[in-house]
Amino acid sequence: MHSRSSQVALAVVALVLGFLVVTQVRSQAGGTGLEDRSAQDLTLLVANLNTRNDQLRGEVADLGRQLDSIAAAQARGDTSAGQLRADLVRVRIWSGVDAAVGQGVRVVLRGPVTAVVLEDLVNELRNAGAEAIAVGGVRVVPATIAGGVPGSLSVEDTPLSDPVEVVAIGNAATMTGTLTRAGGLVAQEMATNQGLAIEVTPADRLQVPATARDLTPRVAKPRL
Amino acid sequence: MSGVAGRLRSIPTWEITLFLALVSLGFLIAAQVRSETPRVRYTSQERAPLIETALGLQAQQKSLQAQILDLRSRIASAEVATQGSGAIATQLNDALFQARLSAGLTALEGNGLVVQLEDAPQVSQAAGSADLLVTGRDVRTVVEELWLAGAEAVAVNDERVVSATSIIDIGGSLLVNSAYVAPPYQVKAVGPADMYAQLAESASWVDFVASRAGQNGIRLAIAQPASLLVPAYAGSVTIRYAQPPASSAPSANP
Repeated sequence: MHSRSSQVALAVVALVLGFLVVTQVRSQAGGTGLEDRSAQDLTLLVANLNTRNDQLRGEVADLGRQLDSIAAAQARGDTSAGQLRADLVRVRIWSGVDAAVGQGVRVVLRGPVTAVVLEDLVNELRNAGAEAIAVGGVRVVPATIAGGVPGSLSVEDTPLSDPVEVVAIGNAATMTGTLTRAGGLVAQEMATNQGLAIEVTPADRLQVPATARDLTPRVAKPRL
Repeated sequence: MSGVAGRLRSIPTWEITLFLALVSLGFLIAAQVRSETPRVRYTSQERAPLIETALGLQAQQKSLQAQILDLRSRIASAEVATQGSGAIATQLNDALFQARLSAGLTALEGNGLVVQLEDAPQVSQAAGSADLLVTGRDVRTVVEELWLAGAEAVAVNDERVVSATSIIDIGGSLLVNSAYVAPPYQVKAVGPADMYAQLAESASWVDFVASRAGQNGIRLAIAQPASLLVPAYAGSVTIRYAQPPASSAPSANP
């Protein structure tokens, strides 16, 4: 009797134990990070992934055409210098090495502007597709960081005057819409920073300067 | 002593086995409860196809990124192959190589520093634990601190940080270069050998660590691999609106 009841008890415990082990292992291994997202969050994520993939497909198509063009030029015995030059101009503008002009938005910030507000704004402009950005006349590149306290902010050792002007080249309507929508960045920043005023104006032609930074790596080596 | 040993010997084997199994059971139940992270778990049925779609799109994204890197590499090789055709082409190719290097379109290798961020453990969202989650701002702060420490290239979960990079929170997720990245977030940097020393001396870094790791319990770890590879940017470099100013139109001399 004893041995029969002990066997049943052990079987039940082993069953529960096995179930828990599997559950625990699965919960530890679930590395996608998506399991705990709500349906609404996932919908938003899927929309963003779709947009991103469309951009990547466009890039693949562009690069394919570029490769074909170089191959055709080589077949004709040309140097394809025109193609190289166009590529060079594009990459230098995109990286911030060269100045740029084009349509975009001018954002004027008055009041207690903090470095975090500027960082949030630049991040949002990039997210809205800005192709070139300048803060207080300084071109923003990856390592450009605003510092200091309200009233004595600086970017790349250049003091920022009051008001602070941020210029971004890109689709003016998209950037204006993204910044000024209800609950958007402008509304959020003005709600959380008392006395801060942000004005966004679309413009047909704006100019941003080239960066003064040398973006060439000094220590790290390229891996081709 | 001999009394205790005798009593232990008198316990049936099955009882000892059951005792050990129950201890394991208790341990596993506790581990399972503790593994519930601050991010709330949802169980609705409509999520399964959405997760599947998102994972499918992520896989597509990886494949497209690989195609982009492959095409860029083939273009660079094809361009170099035209060098023999003339001095201008050679000059342009050299300038293009430098431009791609500066733009983050080339992978870089060197002294490394990796900062890993993870949500704070064990606290439920119901307890008002928004501060316990790693946010886009946290990751941006780490990226900024690494630039200040002298980094020459930075990537977040292998998404290279370039001039167009945004790091945003969207629906509880983090998008870097519009690509979904899952926690833990690894910010990799290559640069000078004293990067960690520079980082450790930064007052704003010390404040960040004290506030987010010290007070809020965000898990933060740092590694210094002797050699680290930061991948090339594998996204779009298309510009539609920005043009060179009239005075700096393309010239034969880059």
